[in-house]
Amino acid sequence: MADIITVLILGISIGMVFGFILQRGRFCMNSAFRDIILLKEYKLMKGVLLAIAVSMIGFSIFILGGILAANPKPFTVLGSIIGGFIFGIGMVLASGCASGTTYRVGEGMIGSLVALVGLGLGAYLTKFSILSIVSGSLITPMADPVTGGGLRIAGDATPIVMFIIGIIIIGIFSYTNLLPYLKERKEKNEPILDFTDMKTKIFNTSYPWWVSGIAIGILNCVAWISSAAAGRNYPMGITAGWLGWLSFLLTWNITAFNWLVFMVVGVILGAFIAAIISKEFKIRIPKEPKTLLIQLLGGFLMGFGAVTAAGCNIGNFLSGIPMGSVGSLVVGIFIIIGCWAMTYIMFMRD
Amino acid sequence: MVDITETLDCKGDVCPYPDVKSKRKVKKMKSGEVLKILIDYPLSAERIPETMKSLGHEVLSVEKEGTASWIILVKIK
Repeated sequence: MADIITVLILGISIGMVFGFILQRGRFCMNSAFRDIILLKEYKLMKGVLLAIAVSMIGFSIFILGGILAANPKPFTVLGSIIGGFIFGIGMVLASGCASGTTYRVGEGMIGSLVALVGLGLGAYLTKFSILSIVSGSLITPMADPVTGGGLRIAGDATPIVMFIIGIIIIGIFSYTNLLPYLKERKEKNEPILDFTDMKTKIFNTSYPWWVSGIAIGILNCVAWISSAAAGRNYPMGITAGWLGWLSFLLTWNITAFNWLVFMVVGVILGAFIAAIISKEFKIRIPKEPKTLLIQLLGGFLMGFGAVTAAGCNIGNFLSGIPMGSVGSLVVGIFIIIGCWAMTYIMFMRD
Repeated sequence: MVDITETLDCKGDVCPYPDVKSKRKVKKMKSGEVLKILIDYPLSAERIPETMKSLGHEVLSVEKEGTASWIILVKIK
């Protein structure tokens, strides 16, 4: 295991880049899933899909090339289904998924800070305290018959299948989005890529969905290497990082520190820097105190859901699904179902 | 100078509250009236004008005022 300073630098630097892109791309999975039904708006969802596709290709190359070993999350049937569903409900109440909530703290959103406290508490009580009875009764892992690890969709052939799916997704986007864009550019006689004024584009304007999607996908691949170098064989996550902080604050045991614990702090820092530069940092408090209570409850439910489902939206969508984890796929589906159910109840009944 | 019929203050709200509130508000307003939306949440500030246009309303202006603060003027169709 690498020494603590190396772990800190590796984790915090990836987190800072992640937080920066999240803030500039307004990249939140809660918004992505919710707005499909609420606003009929698909841009963020397309960004999420692109990030997953890029991760699929990168991860498959790592695994097939023998650089890193696949480490898919377990599939626990009830844990994955119920945990995912409750997480989905929680993120609508909290007005942000685990990563969305984290980066918005860096923007100065007090509601998100409250949700984050709820997330840490919910996760801690579920992992180490009274709620572990509830979640423990739901977790009976189904192991992969070949590797004994988490169940994967196609056993040892999973990386090849994931690689192909990733290529297909990118192929579809190229056909539906890239091709028309290139045509338009050609007709107008403009260069394909416009590199003028890059400073404004990177620091001051918000990123289009495809920029944040590709950037997060690539970062997630780099993150896995960085994290593995720090002795943690898994790409990005969020919830376990905050769980680590809470464990440390309650026990003062430094074994709680790992790559992810530093990464999540980096996310807040990165988003803070991005918000300061673009003049979007401001302390914002919801007008109705009720909103803060709802966000606290939402965060708490996300914490419970993430521990029960063995991961939050990042650990499952961005890291687990590209590895072909059956558990992550089921969690992902139920996060979306929970999100839609709660969105309907809260915002769509007039 | 435009005559503002109503003002909707979404300051402090996170998404999707500004989006949902402004959508509900314009539904209740009459043709030709102007709604002023005050907002400090970036994603919604970028998205509300798009939503309003897709609903057929006219977005008169989107102005950034200082730090993380936007004023959107919408004319109801």
